[in-house]
Amino acid sequence: MKVIEVRNLNVMRDEKLVIRNANFEINKGDYVGIIGPNGGGKTTLILTILGQIPKLSGSIKLFGKDIEEFNEWEKIAFIPQDAVNFDNNFPITVKEFVSLGRLGKNKIGRRLNKEDWEEVNKTLEFMGISDIANKRIGEISIGQKQRMFLAMALVRNPELIILDEPISNVDPITQEKFYKKLSDLNYKEGKTILVVSHDLSAVFCRMNKVICVNVDVNIAEIKENTDIQGIVRKAYGEHFYFVFHRHECKGEFEK
Amino acid sequence: MIELLSYQFFQNAIIGGCLIGIICSWIGLFLVLRRQVMIVDGAAHTAFGGLALGLLLGIDPFITALIIVIISILIINKMKAFTDSAIALMLAIGFSIGLIIISITRGFSIDIFSYLFGSILTISREELIIISIVTIFITIFLLLFHRELIAITFNERNARIMGIPVDLISNIFNFIIAITIILSIKIVGVILIVALITIPALISLQIKTSFNNTVIISILIGLFGIILGIFISAIYKLSTSGIIVFTLVIIYAIVYIYSKIKIIKREKL
Repeated sequence: MKVIEVRNLNVMRDEKLVIRNANFEINKGDYVGIIGPNGGGKTTLILTILGQIPKLSGSIKLFGKDIEEFNEWEKIAFIPQDAVNFDNNFPITVKEFVSLGRLGKNKIGRRLNKEDWEEVNKTLEFMGISDIANKRIGEISIGQKQRMFLAMALVRNPELIILDEPISNVDPITQEKFYKKLSDLNYKEGKTILVVSHDLSAVFCRMNKVICVNVDVNIAEIKENTDIQGIVRKAYGEHFYFVFHRHECKGEFEK
Repeated sequence: MIELLSYQFFQNAIIGGCLIGIICSWIGLFLVLRRQVMIVDGAAHTAFGGLALGLLLGIDPFITALIIVIISILIINKMKAFTDSAIALMLAIGFSIGLIIISITRGFSIDIFSYLFGSILTISREELIIISIVTIFITIFLLLFHRELIAITFNERNARIMGIPVDLISNIFNFIIAITIILSIKIVGVILIVALITIPALISLQIKTSFNNTVIISILIGLFGIILGIFISAIYKLSTSGIIVFTLVIIYAIVYIYSKIKIIKREKL
Protein backbone atom coordinates (compact mmCIF):
# COMPACT_ATOMS: atom_id res chain seq x y z
CA MET A 1 0.00 0.00 0.00
CA LYS A 2 1.31 3.43 -0.97
CA VAL A 3 1.40 5.80 1.97
CA ILE A 4 3.02 8.74 0.13
CA GLU A 5 3.12 9.23 -3.62
CA VAL A 6 4.92 12.26 -5.05
CA ARG A 7 4.87 12.97 -8.78
CA ASN A 8 6.73 15.73 -10.66
CA LEU A 9 6.73 17.94 -7.58
CA ASN A 10 8.18 21.44 -7.84
CA VAL A 11 8.21 23.86 -4.95
CA MET A 12 9.17 27.50 -5.03
CA ARG A 13 10.01 29.67 -2.01
CA ASP A 14 11.00 33.34 -2.17
CA GLU A 15 11.03 33.12 -5.99
CA LYS A 16 13.59 30.29 -5.85
CA LEU A 17 13.01 26.69 -6.90
CA VAL A 18 13.77 24.65 -3.76
CA ILE A 19 12.38 21.25 -4.84
CA ARG A 20 12.85 20.23 -8.47
CA ASN A 21 10.82 17.52 -10.12
CA ALA A 22 10.59 15.14 -7.17
CA ASN A 23 9.24 11.65 -7.85
CA PHE A 24 9.05 8.95 -5.18
CA GLU A 25 6.82 6.54 -3.32
CA ILE A 26 6.78 5.47 0.30
CA ASN A 27 5.05 2.20 1.08
CA LYS A 28 3.46 0.96 4.27
CA GLY A 29 6.12 -0.25 6.69
CA ASP A 30 8.96 1.71 5.08
CA TYR A 31 11.54 3.29 7.36
CA VAL A 32 12.96 6.19 5.41
CA GLY A 33 15.81 8.55 6.13
CA ILE A 34 15.79 11.98 4.50
CA ILE A 35 19.30 13.36 4.13
CA GLY A 36 20.85 16.39 2.51
CA PRO A 37 22.76 19.58 3.29
CA ASN A 38 21.30 22.43 5.34
CA GLY A 39 19.07 24.56 3.14
CA GLY A 40 18.77 21.70 0.65
CA GLY A 41 14.99 21.55 1.00
CA LYS A 42 14.38 18.65 3.44
CA THR A 43 11.99 20.55 5.71
CA THR A 44 10.33 22.20 2.72
CA LEU A 45 9.73 18.77 1.18
CA ILE A 46 8.12 17.46 4.38
CA LEU A 47 5.97 20.52 4.96
CA THR A 48 4.84 20.43 1.33
CA ILE A 49 3.89 16.76 1.68
CA LEU A 50 1.90 17.75 4.78
CA GLY A 51 0.11 20.53 2.89
CA GLN A 52 1.71 23.36 4.86
CA ILE A 53 3.65 24.86 1.94
CA PRO A 54 1.92 25.33 -1.43
CA LYS A 55 3.46 23.45 -4.35
CA LEU A 56 4.25 25.05 -7.67
CA SER A 57 3.29 21.99 -9.70
CA GLY A 58 3.00 18.23 -9.49
CA SER A 59 0.93 15.99 -7.29
CA ILE A 60 1.09 14.59 -3.75
CA LYS A 61 -1.04 11.71 -2.55
CA LEU A 62 -1.35 10.64 1.08
CA PHE A 63 -2.87 7.22 1.63
CA GLY A 64 -4.09 7.30 -1.97
CA LYS A 65 -5.85 10.66 -1.68
CA ASP A 66 -4.73 13.93 -3.26
CA ILE A 67 -3.32 16.26 -0.61
CA GLU A 68 -6.00 18.83 -1.48
CA GLU A 69 -8.72 16.34 -0.52
CA PHE A 70 -6.89 14.53 2.27
CA ASN A 71 -8.54 14.86 5.67
CA GLU A 72 -7.52 11.77 7.63
CA TRP A 73 -4.92 13.63 9.68
CA GLU A 74 -5.33 11.27 12.63
CA LYS A 75 -3.34 8.76 10.52
CA ILE A 76 -0.30 11.04 10.63
CA ALA A 77 1.91 12.21 13.47
CA PHE A 78 4.50 14.92 12.88
CA ILE A 79 7.33 16.08 15.11
CA PRO A 80 8.71 19.39 13.82
CA GLN A 81 12.31 20.57 13.64
CA ASP A 82 13.65 21.79 17.00
CA ALA A 83 10.44 20.63 18.67
CA VAL A 84 12.24 20.46 22.01
CA ASN A 85 13.22 24.13 21.89
CA PHE A 86 9.90 25.39 23.22
CA ASP A 87 9.20 27.99 25.89
CA ASN A 88 10.06 26.24 29.16
CA ASN A 89 7.55 28.43 30.99
CA PHE A 90 4.62 26.94 29.07
CA PRO A 91 2.37 25.72 31.90
CA ILE A 92 1.63 22.13 30.99
CA THR A 93 2.53 18.74 32.43
CA VAL A 94 3.98 15.88 30.40
CA LYS A 95 0.72 13.93 30.71
CA GLU A 96 -1.43 16.91 29.64
CA PHE A 97 0.91 17.48 26.70
CA VAL A 98 0.86 13.86 25.52
CA SER A 99 -2.94 13.83 25.80
CA LEU A 100 -3.08 16.62 23.17
CA GLY A 101 -2.07 13.89 20.69
CA ARG A 102 -5.58 12.48 20.98
CA LEU A 103 -6.92 15.59 19.22
CA GLY A 104 -7.81 15.47 15.56
CA LYS A 105 -10.26 16.46 12.90
CA ASN A 106 -12.94 13.99 13.95
CA LYS A 107 -12.48 14.60 17.63
CA ILE A 108 -12.99 18.38 17.81
CA GLY A 109 -14.58 19.65 21.01
CA ARG A 110 -14.71 16.14 22.44
CA ARG A 111 -13.77 15.49 26.04
CA LEU A 112 -11.19 12.77 26.52
CA ASN A 113 -12.79 9.58 27.84
CA LYS A 114 -11.48 6.70 29.93
CA GLU A 115 -10.17 4.92 26.83
CA ASP A 116 -8.19 8.01 25.78
CA TRP A 117 -6.56 8.32 29.21
CA GLU A 118 -5.75 4.61 29.22
CA GLU A 119 -4.04 5.08 25.86
CA VAL A 120 -2.14 8.11 27.22
CA ASN A 121 -0.97 6.14 30.30
CA LYS A 122 -0.02 3.15 28.15
CA THR A 123 2.02 5.33 25.79
CA LEU A 124 3.76 7.13 28.66
CA GLU A 125 4.75 3.74 30.00
CA PHE A 126 5.85 2.48 26.57
CA MET A 127 8.10 5.50 26.17
CA GLY A 128 9.44 5.11 29.71
CA ILE A 129 8.27 8.51 30.92
CA SER A 130 5.37 7.60 33.22
CA ASP A 131 7.51 8.60 36.22
CA ILE A 132 7.64 12.20 34.97
CA ALA A 133 3.97 12.34 33.84
CA ASN A 134 3.08 15.08 36.32
CA LYS A 135 6.21 17.15 35.80
CA ARG A 136 6.01 20.37 33.81
CA ILE A 137 7.44 20.06 30.31
CA GLY A 138 9.95 22.82 31.00
CA GLU A 139 11.48 20.89 33.89
CA ILE A 140 12.55 17.72 32.05
CA SER A 141 15.75 16.86 30.15
CA ILE A 142 16.12 17.08 26.36
CA GLY A 143 16.11 13.28 26.07
CA GLN A 144 12.86 13.15 28.05
CA LYS A 145 11.41 15.94 25.90
CA GLN A 146 12.15 13.90 22.77
CA ARG A 147 10.44 10.85 24.23
CA MET A 148 7.51 13.06 25.25
CA PHE A 149 7.10 14.31 21.67
CA LEU A 150 7.32 10.77 20.37
CA ALA A 151 4.70 9.74 22.96
CA MET A 152 2.43 12.57 21.79
CA ALA A 153 2.87 11.28 18.24
CA LEU A 154 2.27 7.63 19.18
CA VAL A 155 -0.79 8.28 21.32
CA ARG A 156 -2.57 9.14 18.07
CA ASN A 157 -1.90 5.57 16.98
CA PRO A 158 -0.74 6.92 13.60
CA GLU A 159 0.09 4.89 10.53
CA LEU A 160 2.72 7.38 9.38
CA ILE A 161 5.21 9.16 11.64
CA ILE A 162 7.26 12.04 10.23
CA LEU A 163 10.13 13.49 12.23
CA ASP A 164 12.10 16.54 11.17
CA GLU A 165 15.58 16.42 12.73
CA PRO A 166 14.18 15.18 16.03
CA ILE A 167 17.47 14.68 17.84
CA SER A 168 19.85 17.48 17.01
CA ASN A 169 22.03 18.73 19.88
CA VAL A 170 21.88 15.61 22.04
CA ASP A 171 24.53 13.18 23.18
CA PRO A 172 25.21 10.01 21.14
CA ILE A 173 23.70 7.70 23.78
CA THR A 174 20.38 9.58 23.78
CA GLN A 175 20.47 9.59 19.96
CA GLU A 176 21.03 5.86 19.86
CA LYS A 177 18.19 5.20 22.31
CA PHE A 178 15.88 7.36 20.21
CA TYR A 179 16.72 5.54 16.96
CA LYS A 180 16.33 2.21 18.74
CA LYS A 181 12.80 3.24 19.76
CA LEU A 182 11.99 4.23 16.17
CA SER A 183 13.36 0.92 14.90
CA ASP A 184 11.12 -0.92 17.36
CA LEU A 185 8.09 1.04 16.19
CA ASN A 186 8.87 0.22 12.58
CA TYR A 187 9.94 -3.37 13.08
CA LYS A 188 7.51 -4.52 15.78
CA GLU A 189 4.50 -2.24 15.20
CA GLY A 190 4.76 -1.83 11.45
CA LYS A 191 4.66 1.97 11.50
CA THR A 192 5.79 3.84 8.40
CA ILE A 193 8.47 6.30 9.48
CA LEU A 194 10.15 9.22 7.73
CA VAL A 195 13.05 10.87 9.53
CA VAL A 196 15.06 13.88 8.47
CA SER A 197 18.50 13.14 9.85
CA HIS A 198 22.13 14.16 9.62
CA ASP A 199 23.16 10.91 11.29
CA LEU A 200 24.14 8.98 8.15
CA SER A 201 25.24 5.88 10.09
CA ALA A 202 21.81 5.60 11.70
CA VAL A 203 20.13 6.06 8.31
CA PHE A 204 22.18 3.41 6.50
CA CYS A 205 22.20 0.94 9.40
CA ARG A 206 18.58 1.11 10.41
CA MET A 207 16.45 2.30 7.50
CA ASN A 208 15.35 0.58 4.31
CA LYS A 209 15.10 3.65 2.08
CA VAL A 210 16.92 6.94 1.80
CA ILE A 211 15.77 10.17 0.15
CA CYS A 212 18.55 12.60 -0.81
CA VAL A 213 17.36 16.18 -1.00
CA ASN A 214 19.42 18.97 -2.44
CA VAL A 215 16.86 20.75 -4.64
CA ASP A 216 16.87 17.53 -6.70
CA VAL A 217 15.28 14.62 -4.92
CA ASN A 218 16.58 11.06 -5.29
CA ILE A 219 15.29 7.95 -3.58
CA ALA A 220 17.18 4.69 -3.13
CA GLU A 221 16.61 1.40 -1.36
CA ILE A 222 19.23 0.50 1.22
CA LYS A 223 20.42 -3.07 0.65
CA GLU A 224 23.62 -5.06 1.18
CA ASN A 225 25.05 -4.00 -2.18
CA THR A 226 23.77 -0.41 -2.27
CA ASP A 227 26.28 2.18 -3.52
CA ILE A 228 26.11 4.27 -0.36
CA GLN A 229 28.95 6.57 -1.42
CA GLY A 230 27.10 7.32 -4.66
CA ILE A 231 23.87 8.09 -2.81
CA VAL A 232 25.54 10.35 -0.30
CA ARG A 233 27.35 12.28 -3.03
CA LYS A 234 24.03 12.96 -4.74
CA ALA A 235 22.96 14.78 -1.61
CA TYR A 236 26.16 16.44 -0.42
CA GLY A 237 28.17 16.85 -3.61
CA GLU A 238 30.94 15.01 -5.44
CA HIS A 239 33.66 15.92 -2.95
CA PHE A 240 31.83 14.46 0.04
CA TYR A 241 33.32 11.27 1.42
CA PHE A 242 31.47 9.07 3.90
CA VAL A 243 33.20 6.06 5.42
CA PHE A 244 30.68 3.37 6.14
CA HIS A 245 31.19 -0.26 7.06
CA ARG A 246 28.07 -2.36 7.28
CA HIS A 247 29.58 -4.63 9.94
CA GLU A 248 29.58 -1.62 12.27
CA CYS A 249 25.80 -1.81 12.24
CA LYS A 250 25.99 -4.97 14.31
CA GLY A 251 25.72 -4.68 18.06
CA GLU A 252 24.32 -1.33 19.18
CA PHE A 253 22.87 -0.55 15.79
CA GLU A 254 21.19 -3.90 15.37
CA LYS A 255 17.43 -3.75 14.81
CA MET B 1 -19.11 46.30 54.53
CA ILE B 2 -21.99 43.79 54.79
CA GLU B 3 -24.39 46.68 54.39
CA LEU B 4 -22.93 47.38 50.96
CA LEU B 5 -24.10 43.97 49.75
CA SER B 6 -27.73 44.90 50.40
CA TYR B 7 -27.59 47.57 47.69
CA GLN B 8 -28.78 46.46 44.26
CA PHE B 9 -26.09 48.47 42.43
CA PHE B 10 -23.38 46.87 44.56
CA GLN B 11 -24.72 43.37 43.94
CA ASN B 12 -24.79 44.08 40.20
CA ALA B 13 -21.20 45.35 40.35
CA ILE B 14 -19.95 42.26 42.21
CA ILE B 15 -21.76 39.75 39.96
CA GLY B 16 -20.92 41.60 36.71
CA GLY B 17 -17.31 42.10 37.81
CA CYS B 18 -16.92 38.42 38.70
CA LEU B 19 -18.36 37.23 35.38
CA ILE B 20 -16.06 39.52 33.40
CA GLY B 21 -13.19 38.53 35.68
CA ILE B 22 -13.69 34.86 34.80
CA ILE B 23 -13.51 35.32 31.03
CA CYS B 24 -10.76 37.97 31.11
CA SER B 25 -8.51 35.77 33.26
CA TRP B 26 -9.24 32.69 31.16
CA ILE B 27 -8.68 34.14 27.69
CA GLY B 28 -5.88 36.26 29.14
CA LEU B 29 -3.84 33.14 29.82
CA PHE B 30 -3.96 32.12 26.15
CA LEU B 31 -3.15 35.68 25.04
CA VAL B 32 -0.17 35.94 27.41
CA LEU B 33 1.21 32.60 26.21
CA ARG B 34 0.74 33.64 22.57
CA ARG B 35 2.47 36.98 23.31
CA GLN B 36 -0.65 38.72 22.00
CA VAL B 37 -1.83 40.83 24.93
CA MET B 38 -1.05 44.08 23.15
CA ILE B 39 -3.67 43.17 20.55
CA VAL B 40 -6.19 43.69 23.35
CA ASP B 41 -4.71 47.08 24.19
CA GLY B 42 -4.77 48.21 20.56
CA ALA B 43 -8.28 46.90 19.95
CA ALA B 44 -9.57 48.39 23.23
CA HIS B 45 -8.33 51.82 22.23
CA THR B 46 -10.08 51.54 18.87
CA ALA B 47 -13.23 50.79 20.91
CA PHE B 48 -12.93 54.35 22.20
CA GLY B 49 -13.40 55.65 18.66
CA GLY B 50 -16.31 53.23 18.17
CA LEU B 51 -18.02 54.40 21.37
CA ALA B 52 -17.69 58.04 20.38
CA LEU B 53 -19.03 57.23 16.90
CA GLY B 54 -22.06 55.48 18.41
CA LEU B 55 -22.82 58.44 20.66
CA LEU B 56 -22.48 60.80 17.70
CA LEU B 57 -24.82 58.75 15.48
CA GLY B 58 -27.30 58.05 18.26
CA ILE B 59 -26.71 54.27 18.04
CA ASP B 60 -25.94 52.08 21.03
CA PRO B 61 -22.21 52.92 21.44
CA PHE B 62 -21.37 49.35 22.46
CA ILE B 63 -22.59 48.04 19.09
CA THR B 64 -20.44 50.50 17.09
CA ALA B 65 -17.52 49.78 19.42
CA LEU B 66 -17.92 46.00 18.92
CA ILE B 67 -17.91 46.40 15.13
CA ILE B 68 -14.83 48.65 15.22
CA VAL B 69 -12.98 46.29 17.60
CA ILE B 70 -13.72 43.25 15.40
CA ILE B 71 -12.44 45.14 12.33
CA SER B 72 -9.30 46.24 14.16
CA ILE B 73 -8.54 42.68 15.36
CA LEU B 74 -9.00 41.41 11.80
CA ILE B 75 -6.60 44.05 10.46
CA ILE B 76 -4.02 43.35 13.20
CA ASN B 77 -4.17 39.61 12.42
CA LYS B 78 -3.89 40.28 8.67
CA MET B 79 -0.71 42.30 9.21
CA LYS B 80 0.90 39.34 11.01
CA ALA B 81 4.45 40.20 9.98
CA PHE B 82 4.09 43.69 11.50
CA THR B 83 1.81 42.97 14.47
CA ASP B 84 3.29 45.61 16.80
CA SER B 85 3.11 48.29 14.10
CA ALA B 86 -0.47 47.24 13.28
CA ILE B 87 -1.45 47.54 16.96
CA ALA B 88 0.12 51.01 17.20
CA LEU B 89 -1.67 52.03 14.01
CA MET B 90 -5.08 50.79 15.19
CA LEU B 91 -4.60 52.36 18.60
CA ALA B 92 -3.76 55.73 17.06
CA ILE B 93 -6.60 55.62 14.54
CA GLY B 94 -9.23 54.61 17.11
CA PHE B 95 -8.19 57.13 19.69
CA SER B 96 -7.81 60.01 17.25
CA ILE B 97 -11.27 59.34 15.78
CA GLY B 98 -12.67 59.42 19.32
CA LEU B 99 -10.92 62.71 20.13
CA ILE B 100 -12.10 64.34 16.87
CA ILE B 101 -15.72 63.32 17.53
CA ILE B 102 -15.53 64.62 21.11
CA SER B 103 -14.13 67.94 19.93
CA ILE B 104 -16.89 68.22 17.28
CA THR B 105 -19.79 67.50 19.66
CA ARG B 106 -18.52 68.68 23.05
CA GLY B 107 -21.70 67.16 24.47
CA PHE B 108 -20.93 63.75 25.85
CA SER B 109 -17.64 64.14 27.64
CA ILE B 110 -19.03 62.60 30.87
CA ASP B 111 -20.14 59.43 29.06
CA ILE B 112 -16.79 59.17 27.33
CA PHE B 113 -14.99 59.61 30.65
CA SER B 114 -16.88 56.62 32.10
CA TYR B 115 -15.93 54.52 29.07
CA LEU B 116 -12.30 55.45 29.43
CA PHE B 117 -12.06 54.53 33.11
CA GLY B 118 -15.05 52.22 33.65
CA SER B 119 -18.15 52.58 35.78
CA ILE B 120 -18.74 49.20 37.36
CA LEU B 121 -21.07 50.59 40.02
CA THR B 122 -23.55 51.67 37.34
CA ILE B 123 -24.14 48.20 35.83
CA SER B 124 -27.90 47.83 35.29
CA ARG B 125 -30.02 44.65 35.59
CA GLU B 126 -30.34 44.48 31.79
CA GLU B 127 -26.58 44.82 31.33
CA LEU B 128 -26.04 42.12 33.94
CA ILE B 129 -28.35 39.74 32.03
CA ILE B 130 -26.41 40.38 28.80
CA ILE B 131 -23.07 39.87 30.57
CA SER B 132 -24.36 36.61 32.10
CA ILE B 133 -25.59 35.17 28.79
CA VAL B 134 -22.38 36.11 26.97
CA THR B 135 -20.25 34.67 29.79
CA ILE B 136 -22.13 31.36 29.58
CA PHE B 137 -21.53 31.12 25.82
CA ILE B 138 -17.85 32.03 26.12
CA THR B 139 -17.38 29.56 28.99
CA ILE B 140 -18.97 26.76 26.93
CA PHE B 141 -16.64 27.56 24.00
CA LEU B 142 -13.55 27.66 26.22
CA LEU B 143 -14.48 24.38 27.91
CA LEU B 144 -15.30 22.61 24.63
CA PHE B 145 -12.16 23.74 22.81
CA HIS B 146 -9.82 23.83 25.82
CA ARG B 147 -7.36 21.26 24.44
CA GLU B 148 -7.54 22.58 20.89
CA LEU B 149 -6.72 26.07 22.17
CA ILE B 150 -3.74 24.71 24.13
CA ALA B 151 -2.47 22.88 21.01
CA ILE B 152 -2.88 26.01 18.84
CA THR B 153 -1.19 28.18 21.48
CA PHE B 154 1.74 25.75 21.79
CA ASN B 155 2.40 25.33 18.07
CA GLU B 156 -0.06 26.58 15.46
CA ARG B 157 1.48 24.76 12.51
CA ASN B 158 1.59 21.44 14.34
CA ALA B 159 -2.03 21.92 15.40
CA ARG B 160 -2.96 22.29 11.72
CA ILE B 161 -1.12 19.09 10.83
CA MET B 162 -3.00 17.33 13.64
CA GLY B 163 -6.18 18.20 11.77
CA ILE B 164 -7.40 20.88 14.18
CA PRO B 165 -9.44 23.57 12.33
CA VAL B 166 -7.06 26.31 13.48
CA ASP B 167 -8.61 29.12 11.41
CA LEU B 168 -12.17 28.43 12.59
CA ILE B 169 -11.21 28.20 16.27
CA SER B 170 -8.91 31.25 16.03
CA ASN B 171 -11.63 33.33 14.39
CA ILE B 172 -14.14 32.42 17.09
CA PHE B 173 -11.49 33.17 19.71
CA ASN B 174 -10.85 36.60 18.14
CA PHE B 175 -14.59 37.31 18.22
CA ILE B 176 -14.59 36.37 21.92
CA ILE B 177 -11.69 38.77 22.53
CA ALA B 178 -13.72 41.55 20.89
CA ILE B 179 -16.81 40.82 23.01
CA THR B 180 -14.72 40.56 26.17
CA ILE B 181 -13.18 43.96 25.45
CA ILE B 182 -16.60 45.54 25.00
CA LEU B 183 -18.00 43.98 28.19
CA SER B 184 -14.88 44.97 30.14
CA ILE B 185 -15.25 48.63 29.19
CA LYS B 186 -17.99 48.89 31.81
CA ILE B 187 -15.77 47.31 34.48
CA VAL B 188 -12.35 48.94 34.11
CA GLY B 189 -12.67 51.15 31.03
CA VAL B 190 -10.78 51.19 27.75
CA ILE B 191 -7.41 52.11 29.21
CA LEU B 192 -7.09 49.41 31.89
CA ILE B 193 -8.66 46.40 30.09
CA VAL B 194 -5.25 45.07 29.16
CA ALA B 195 -4.36 44.88 32.86
CA LEU B 196 -7.46 42.81 33.68
CA ILE B 197 -6.55 40.38 30.91
CA THR B 198 -2.82 40.20 31.58
CA ILE B 199 -2.16 40.35 35.31
CA PRO B 200 -4.17 37.31 36.57
CA ALA B 201 -2.52 35.18 33.85
CA LEU B 202 0.95 36.49 34.73
CA ILE B 203 0.36 35.71 38.41
CA SER B 204 -0.88 32.18 37.70
CA LEU B 205 2.16 31.51 35.49
CA GLN B 206 4.41 32.22 38.50
CA ILE B 207 2.86 29.27 40.34
CA LYS B 208 4.32 26.78 37.80
CA THR B 209 1.72 24.04 37.80
CA SER B 210 -0.35 22.13 35.20
CA PHE B 211 -2.35 23.94 32.50
CA ASN B 212 -5.71 23.18 34.09
CA ASN B 213 -4.52 24.40 37.49
CA THR B 214 -3.02 27.52 35.88
CA VAL B 215 -6.42 28.36 34.34
CA ILE B 216 -8.17 27.85 37.69
CA ILE B 217 -5.60 29.94 39.58
CA SER B 218 -5.80 32.70 36.96
CA ILE B 219 -9.59 32.85 37.32
CA LEU B 220 -9.50 32.78 41.14
CA ILE B 221 -6.94 35.60 41.22
CA GLY B 222 -8.98 37.64 38.74
CA LEU B 223 -12.08 37.18 40.91
CA PHE B 224 -10.21 37.97 44.11
CA GLY B 225 -8.72 41.16 42.65
CA ILE B 226 -12.06 42.36 41.32
CA ILE B 227 -14.07 41.64 44.49
CA LEU B 228 -11.43 43.12 46.79
CA GLY B 229 -11.01 46.10 44.45
CA ILE B 230 -14.75 46.83 44.41
CA PHE B 231 -15.01 46.64 48.20
CA ILE B 232 -11.94 48.82 48.84
CA SER B 233 -13.04 51.42 46.30
CA ALA B 234 -16.57 51.51 47.74
CA ILE B 235 -15.37 51.82 51.34
CA TYR B 236 -12.71 54.45 50.67
CA LYS B 237 -14.59 56.11 47.77
CA LEU B 238 -11.73 55.65 45.31
CA SER B 239 -11.68 54.90 41.57
CA THR B 240 -12.94 51.29 41.24
CA SER B 241 -11.03 50.44 38.06
CA GLY B 242 -7.83 51.92 39.45
CA ILE B 243 -8.15 49.99 42.72
CA ILE B 244 -8.99 46.69 40.91
CA VAL B 245 -5.90 46.95 38.75
CA PHE B 246 -3.72 48.15 41.61
CA THR B 247 -4.90 45.23 43.80
CA LEU B 248 -3.92 42.80 41.02
CA VAL B 249 -0.53 44.50 40.66
CA ILE B 250 0.09 44.15 44.41
CA ILE B 251 -0.81 40.42 44.24
CA TYR B 252 1.53 40.04 41.25
CA ALA B 253 4.38 41.71 43.12
CA ILE B 254 3.87 39.48 46.19
CA VAL B 255 3.70 36.26 44.15
CA TYR B 256 6.69 37.31 42.00
CA ILE B 257 8.87 38.07 45.04
CA TYR B 258 7.74 34.86 46.75
CA SER B 259 8.58 32.72 43.68
CA LYS B 260 12.01 34.38 43.33
CA ILE B 261 12.79 33.74 47.02
CA LYS B 262 11.73 30.11 46.51
CA ILE B 263 14.10 29.76 43.55
CA ILE B 264 17.01 31.33 45.47
CA LYS B 265 16.34 28.99 48.45
CA ARG B 266 16.21 25.95 46.14
CA GLU B 267 19.49 26.95 44.46
CA LYS B 268 21.18 27.32 47.85
CA LEU B 269 20.20 23.76 48.88
